[in-house]
Amino acid sequence: MSHDCGVIICDFLITDMPSSAVFASGTAKRTAEYQKKRAEEEPDFPRKNKRVKPPDHPLTASEWKSLKLTTPNPDRFDVRMMSSMLADGTDINVAKSLLAYVAMDTGTLSYELLLRYLTLCVGSGHHSEVFDMYDIMRSRFRTLDTGASSLFIKGFSRTERWKEALTILENIKRAITPSPRNYGDTIAGAVLHGDGDTAWALYAELMEKGLIPNQETWQALFQCGLSHQGHEDGLQSILLHMRDNQIYPEETLAKDIKAWFESLPEQKWIGSWSTVDPRGVCRSCQAELESIQLSREEYAQLKDRVMGDVIQGRDVFNKTTPEELESFKNFVKRKPAFDVVIDGLNVANIGIKGNQSQTLLEVVSELERQGLVILVLGRKHMQRPSRSWDRHDMSLVQQKAHCFFTDNISEDDPFLLYATLHSGNHCNFVSRDLMRDHKACLPDGATRRLFFKWQRGHQLVLSSYTPGKRVRFQRILSYDTIVQTHGGSWHIPYDENGAERCTYEVPQKWLCLTKAK
Amino acid sequence: MYHQTIEMMRFLTPPLLNELRRRLSLLSTVANKQLPLTCLLPPHHSAPLKRPLYTGATLRKDVPLPQSKEDQTEEKLDLDIWKSVMRFQVPAVEEEKQGGEEGGGGAAPSGPGGGVAGQEEVSPLEATRELVVMWRQAGKLVPEIMTDEELGILAEFQTKSSKKKYLKYLAIKEGHKNNHKQKQEKKKAERSERFLEDDRIRPGGVRGEEGELRNTFLLQFWGRSLDKLLGWRSAQAVVFGQPLVFDMSYEQQMTRREVENTVSQLMEVEGWNRRAPDPFHLHFCNLQPDGGYHRELVKRYGAEAWERLLITSTEQRHVDLFPRDDLVYLTADSPNVLRTFDNSKVYIVGSMVDRSIQSGLSLANAKRLKLNTARLPLDDFLQWETGAKNLTLDQMIRILLTLKESGRWEEALEHVPKRKHDGFYQEKPQQDRDRGSDKDRRFSGRTRGDTGFRAGDRERAFSRRASVLKSGDRAIRNGDREGDSDKEIRTGDRGDSDRAVRTGDRGDSDRAVRTGDRDGMEEWRQKQMNGVVRERGSTSRHKDSVFSSRDTVAVRNGDKERGSTGRHKDSVFSSRDTVAVSKEAAGDAENRQNTQTTTRVRTSLKTKMEDRNSTAKSGKKLRKEE
Repeated sequence: MSHDCGVIICDFLITDMPSSAVFASGTAKRTAEYQKKRAEEEPDFPRKNKRVKPPDHPLTASEWKSLKLTTPNPDRFDVRMMSSMLADGTDINVAKSLLAYVAMDTGTLSYELLLRYLTLCVGSGHHSEVFDMYDIMRSRFRTLDTGASSLFIKGFSRTERWKEALTILENIKRAITPSPRNYGDTIAGAVLHGDGDTAWALYAELMEKGLIPNQETWQALFQCGLSHQGHEDGLQSILLHMRDNQIYPEETLAKDIKAWFESLPEQKWIGSWSTVDPRGVCRSCQAELESIQLSREEYAQLKDRVMGDVIQGRDVFNKTTPEELESFKNFVKRKPAFDVVIDGLNVANIGIKGNQSQTLLEVVSELERQGLVILVLGRKHMQRPSRSWDRHDMSLVQQKAHCFFTDNISEDDPFLLYATLHSGNHCNFVSRDLMRDHKACLPDGATRRLFFKWQRGHQLVLSSYTPGKRVRFQRILSYDTIVQTHGGSWHIPYDENGAERCTYEVPQKWLCLTKAK
Repeated sequence: MYHQTIEMMRFLTPPLLNELRRRLSLLSTVANKQLPLTCLLPPHHSAPLKRPLYTGATLRKDVPLPQSKEDQTEEKLDLDIWKSVMRFQVPAVEEEKQGGEEGGGGAAPSGPGGGVAGQEEVSPLEATRELVVMWRQAGKLVPEIMTDEELGILAEFQTKSSKKKYLKYLAIKEGHKNNHKQKQEKKKAERSERFLEDDRIRPGGVRGEEGELRNTFLLQFWGRSLDKLLGWRSAQAVVFGQPLVFDMSYEQQMTRREVENTVSQLMEVEGWNRRAPDPFHLHFCNLQPDGGYHRELVKRYGAEAWERLLITSTEQRHVDLFPRDDLVYLTADSPNVLRTFDNSKVYIVGSMVDRSIQSGLSLANAKRLKLNTARLPLDDFLQWETGAKNLTLDQMIRILLTLKESGRWEEALEHVPKRKHDGFYQEKPQQDRDRGSDKDRRFSGRTRGDTGFRAGDRERAFSRRASVLKSGDRAIRNGDREGDSDKEIRTGDRGDSDRAVRTGDRGDSDRAVRTGDRDGMEEWRQKQMNGVVRERGSTSRHKDSVFSSRDTVAVRNGDKERGSTGRHKDSVFSSRDTVAVSKEAAGDAENRQNTQTTTRVRTSLKTKMEDRNSTAKSGKKLRKEE
């Protein structure tokens, strides 16, 4: 099957610019920046700076008083001052002097002010202050809110009193589910103090609650594995979890993973940073990566789900009508299997407005030249001759390709998906639509990832179109970008530091791990 | 020498002293050591010392920041003073806080004591309550008072962010409520002040407040009278008025809050309709008795007022109540544009609020039931600027009411929010514009035109031509759109004498309604029940006048087939005609009556009206509920 596909890909004229492919990481950001640059620069209104400026040294009570009197808006002066100290990362003594002034002035300190001070302490790592604050706040207030609890967990987990973080975590559980970050901090605390078992128990609890762990948590666990042997299975299961959920580690985590593999005794792993060439071969170890093509079972599963959830959905009338769907199914059954399905309206609107039919015709002609069986999907209004839909062009299109026109009030994308999936694994589709709304209709993550994998392997995107020139499509990658292993080796795609990747993009850099023989 | 130093120091101002201390370290140590000694001096000795002494503490305060190590430790002590303050305060504050919380009211009925005692195993509700209290202290946007119901809803939310969002929503709502209350109180205070002023100027002057009537030759128009009038008008609409259906089948697609918003809008709908000169007969169809819509409606109206409301609410579907051909689903996603308002059609509005845009839901419903659909001609009249073309339910009823009364889109579309458009198109006459936009739509392919529907329309339009002269102004008003060929057949069926009888009847009944004469009304109602008069689209005299005014509109709109002579007479007749035309075939009407008796409106109409008249209090209540 993959052989078939390879032939087809070679048939297409392909631009040799993998970096600008829609699914490559960073493309969306570059495009956005480019368009922003092109757009007219709007005058930048400076935001009204209402923030009070914190002093650079501790002040006495009278100095604070005079400062408060000179600010234009003395309302909630203490809290606002503390917030700006937080933002500026001011020295803790300045904050203390403010607290001293407020305490002497009003006789008490508000919870809000203390909370902000606590944030400052935790942020700058003043552990003894955190302990003091814990005593004060526990005796002063009946309970702590989630924000304070999270801060205490974070603060405690870095010190020898890290076990108290566990009790605070228990307290949070009474009201709400703790956040993955709460768990992550506690796990990091346990790892830091050499208690690997507690860390793994917490990790199991976190996964059981269906939370999505942070990359920092994984990092902590890998570091734990680095310093204390054992838990090898657990760490491998993390990697498999990444594979199943199509998660890519960040560069820092990738480094830890590499270090852990290399530290394993008597296994002699060798890690290297690598890229993959377009044929799907790792440039470091020359191993071939997994194909993007779906297995027969996966394909059947995806087909069922797309039919059930995307096209019919909860209400078949939302996107079409049962009669129309039935007539389309019959239409597809009557015709031979298609090699390529074209989203007529999407393709037609790539070019200049006004001669949509011509654009469509050129794309169809190009594909026809390659000897493919083509289906063009459109809406009924395209058949009505007009300025943009030339009668002659449309009749030529209908000669070269099979055509199906849906009602004007129906959506055409579901039909596109159905026809492509129905024609078999070799069939591609042409559209610039990223199909995110259809992907979102799928109920579970596994099917969604399957859909995305299929989409990356079967979607042809017109890179650019100028009338008269030959039509070019972007390359379809032949390999799957996902964490993968065959016992003797691991290939892990990772996000580079600073690279901003959209959800529908995939990373370009790989970590290649092989066993030395 | 000892005394001398002291004497000298008396005249040293702090900055000077400071300077000295810096330059002469020796002196400073001397001074530091000896200053406390001055306190030991016998009082008689310090007779000339009128000014207070500078003690160590004050000295330190006025000195610019200390540099020496010794001073720094002193400053450090100062920095942590708040800790001891807080620790020292603990017991008192704890008590105060508990007291305050209890005073905080409705939020803590079980009392803080229980919370403390059962700290080991708190109920989820209790934990949520504590969470809210602490979030409030942490400065988050949280309401001050929460009912148990709200707390229950809050506890049901799974994620932290959804909890926060809900609390924020409640807090904002509470803020609005408090502001409103404050305003009211301020007004009240002003009013009472004004009264006091009045009393001062004219002591013993009459005021309505004490039950004494103002000395005036004008009759007092009581609010109750207005309620009664509106009530009768609604009752009339329930029997004769054009139905307007609100489709309540979208509960599954809405969140709890959206259902609440929908019901608020529906209440406004009912209010606008009741106050209209010619109200619709509102039908709430697909209203499940234990569904969210019903629960919320009963909660907002109160069970009693809801029962007394002059609308038809039913579990039945609209397609079971009305003939399918008469129904038109109004939806923003429809490919067809509503050109003219047809008094013989039953329009359906989907009662749904979608905060997250869910397009095509009502269109899907209409497609499923194979109903005709239409959208308002917003693009033909308004220069649309921003926002979706969906409107709120109250805007919708105002548009429809105005349209029903005047037939003019320009007037009706005044109710579209101004922020959404940039005014009306002005220069082009309506007919041209319609044609133009039609053409655009056909060719651009951007807006989706349904060819099948349109073709059918055109055919009907042709068959219509012939009937235009015959059936009078209605056809013209209808434009060339929603004509019904069977109408003509029905017209043919009717004898003239029949019509005469009916009109006579109507005159009577009309008068009865107008004067509010109980006996007349009763008699008229009896007739109704006996089935002497069985017409739906019929009207009062008031309506006749509306018709004739509409007629002139129709003529102004450029109708060339009608002569302008004898227009008035013609119009009167034509309106009668209309009545006949719009009437259902007898069997059909019978059917409808039967279905309606299953709903509670007809059967309990009498009791309802009596109810309303008997208690002025309830009437007042009703008015408040608007």
